Amino acid sequence: MAEEPATIGDPVLRLSDVGKGFHGTTVLDGVSLDVPQGQFVALTGPSGAGKSTLLRLVNGMHLPDSGTVHTLGENPAACSRSRLRALRARVGFVFQQFGLVGRLSALENVLMGSLATLRLPRYGVMSYPRALRIRAVEHLDRVGLADRRFQRCDTLSGGQQQRVAVARTLLQSPELILADEPVASLDPAASALVLETLKRISVEDGISVVCSLHQIQLALATADRVVALRGGRLVLDEPAAGLTAERLREVYETAGTRDAQAGARDAQAGARDG
Amino acid sequence: MVDTTPVARAPAAADPGPLRPPWSARALIATGLLVAAVAVTWLTFWWIGLSPASLAAGLDDTARLLRRMWPPDLPGAGDVAGMVAETLLIAVAGTGLAALASVPLAFTAARTHRGPRWLRPAARVAVVLTRAVPTLAFAILFVRIFGLGPPAGALAVAVHSVGMIAKLLADVVEEADPVPAEAARACGAGEVQVAVSTVLPRVFPALTGIVLHRLDINIRASAVLGVVGAGGIGVALQTALGSLNYHRAAGIICVIVVLVLLLELLSVAVRRRTIRHLVRHGTIRRRAVRRRSRAGRSAGDPTGTAALPAGRAPHDVGWDRGRVLRVAGAVATGMVFLVSLWSLNPDPARLSGAWPNLRSVLTGMWPPAFSGHLLMAVLESLLMALGAAAVGAACGLVLALLTAVTTTPWRPLSAVVRVLLVVVRGVPDLVYALLFVAALGLGPFAGFLALWISSTALAAKFFADSLEQLDPLPHEALTSVGARRWQAFAAGIWPQFVPSFTGNGLFVADLALRESVVLGIAGAGGVGYLMQESIATLRYDTTAAIVIAIAVVVYAIETLARVARRHLL
Ligand SMILES: Nc1ncnc2c1ncn2[C@@H]1O[C@H](COP(=O)(O)OP(=O)(O)O)[C@@H](O)[C@H]1O
Ligand SMILES: [Mg+2]
Repeated sequence: MAEEPATIGDPVLRLSDVGKGFHGTTVLDGVSLDVPQGQFVALTGPSGAGKSTLLRLVNGMHLPDSGTVHTLGENPAACSRSRLRALRARVGFVFQQFGLVGRLSALENVLMGSLATLRLPRYGVMSYPRALRIRAVEHLDRVGLADRRFQRCDTLSGGQQQRVAVARTLLQSPELILADEPVASLDPAASALVLETLKRISVEDGISVVCSLHQIQLALATADRVVALRGGRLVLDEPAAGLTAERLREVYETAGTRDAQAGARDAQAGARDG
Repeated sequence: MVDTTPVARAPAAADPGPLRPPWSARALIATGLLVAAVAVTWLTFWWIGLSPASLAAGLDDTARLLRRMWPPDLPGAGDVAGMVAETLLIAVAGTGLAALASVPLAFTAARTHRGPRWLRPAARVAVVLTRAVPTLAFAILFVRIFGLGPPAGALAVAVHSVGMIAKLLADVVEEADPVPAEAARACGAGEVQVAVSTVLPRVFPALTGIVLHRLDINIRASAVLGVVGAGGIGVALQTALGSLNYHRAAGIICVIVVLVLLLELLSVAVRRRTIRHLVRHGTIRRRAVRRRSRAGRSAGDPTGTAALPAGRAPHDVGWDRGRVLRVAGAVATGMVFLVSLWSLNPDPARLSGAWPNLRSVLTGMWPPAFSGHLLMAVLESLLMALGAAAVGAACGLVLALLTAVTTTPWRPLSAVVRVLLVVVRGVPDLVYALLFVAALGLGPFAGFLALWISSTALAAKFFADSLEQLDPLPHEALTSVGARRWQAFAAGIWPQFVPSFTGNGLFVADLALRESVVLGIAGAGGVGYLMQESIATLRYDTTAAIVIAIAVVVYAIETLARVARRHLL
């Protein structure tokens, strides 16, 4: 549904001088960012820096107050409802809390990724076409969970649930994946596995990934590029190669220009991660 | 237009393995319940002869009756105050008696009971029987034994509530941590001592909550006890309807609705207060105590007594604001209860006359006289209740989707429907039944309509409450997948909602059944009419059979609901 097919080199995502606030407070302030195809971008910054807000601007769950957002060549703010739905179908979104229906099987949750291509409401694995079920199993296989297809999601571990959520996103055949702290509620081993899965998909399929992350080490180990937000401003944007943990930590520790509370929250969050 | 984008390469397909989920007990039960609901609804429609034409005619007759009731004629303020006071006193006296009696009964019926072996089954039978027989059925019986008036009503409230309170309390007792009881036993305490000093203190907060909730229910129940002559505001309603004074009947219904609405407001306020109380005392205070005692100990005071307020000896509990309030509250509650007992003022002469009545009723009950006629009447009650609950659940679902903040298409509509539902729930089922009988004549059609209305309102409330408690994230995730509104609902919300939909639906059926067996008192079909008639004609053996049949059917439906709920979760 794009106006024209994205050619290699065109940015998949372009934010130009974007500002966003809620009830009078500024959350994002003059953020500009281009993400080319196939790049894995780690979005870091203390809690409250505006990471989630930025990601939600990209798929039109929030609309910017100023500046423009271009996602896969579309401007979500100018989209009609059905056009926005079509855009969202091309953008995968991975949530910190997975967003799975716990009572349903892994397979059914993955199948929900195809809803935008279907017309009627669906309930039950058998209400989806067989071709989609085959593809859903393939994607479960890709995240290493094909043998769990009929297991209820609330009986899976956190890391397994997040991989089911990734498989659901894959069924969308996304051209861009947004992940909002996908490993913040997982233990270190599960975190590494989920990020590795995302990274493999990004490399194999050439999909861009923008992933907000709290853990500095994981960000440096996984991403091609690291972007840091602080108090709603972009304060760092560098290739991951050559970036040191010390330099990135500085961003967390430098006193913010406007938000002293964020510093306190940041310290708490740091303590939780440690 | 499936998957036109080439970006995500699907891996080479080998054998994908099974693509059809195995049948689960859960799916079978859910499907079975759905089929059963449809079948029962169809059977009910056939039984009562419901058709679009009869429904339209019924609505017409009802509208005519409502026009005849307008404008409502309110009784004088003094009369209203007297009737409302009597209603409240019946409920307070009955609930208080039940609370006192239910504590030993609950301890005996609990799985943790350690007394004589035969005592527990006996207690359980008492609980099941008193729970299953509705207050109004007891009221008919007690009016016969003790004569017309509020004492019979209070006693009916008490007997039914004993089972209700004891059941819930027994669950709490069973869940209480067994270690303190073990410790007390190890110190050589007797079983009653163990219960009183280790279990009772821990179940007391739960008991308070259960009793307050029951009081709320009992005030609503007391408002209609007068229909069978057991006192309260229902007497005036019965008199007005009996003398075809529809304006006055409308006025009294208005009083009942206002009373119930005030009660609703009060119970919401009380619930808010208790939650705030729990937050304040459950977390903040405990933390403060820990901090205080740690401070005391660290300063070379191993017992931590220095943490107690100055001037209080370690062995003296002392008075603080909380204790004053607690004791004052307990004394006030006790006083209100005593006043309510005293005000019922049972006439001694009448009480002595009750003994022979009681003896003749009890001896007349054996052996119970079952008959095909009776069983058909029970079946009619069952069909009325289940059909009304099924249709009510369907209508309630639509209303709940309109009211729940997470699903409503338009906020102001949600508020309007919500207020409307509270008002509709404010009118007791029996009042609806009386009105429909006045409008449409005797028979199960009137009872079905009454139960349909109340089931719809009840189901809508339960469904809306649980819809709002669901996890909103799957819905959001599906919106970000690009799903349509209904797709996101069907895949993200509905699967989460199925257990509470089924559970609440079955609960509505359970409540409808308990109402359905007494609607016959108003002539609205079912077994209630036979019950009243059997007592009036002194055929107590029939009464006993009816009570047993009611208890069995209610218990069966309740058990079915519980089993289904457990398997669906
Ligand atoms: N929907 C909203 N309404 C009001 N304030 C919001 C909303 N979403 C986010 N905020 C505020 O915006 C700030 C940034 O939030 P967020 O983007 O979630 O930060 P991060 O994801 O980096 O922790 C926070 O102060 C938060 O309170
Ligand atoms: Mg966030």
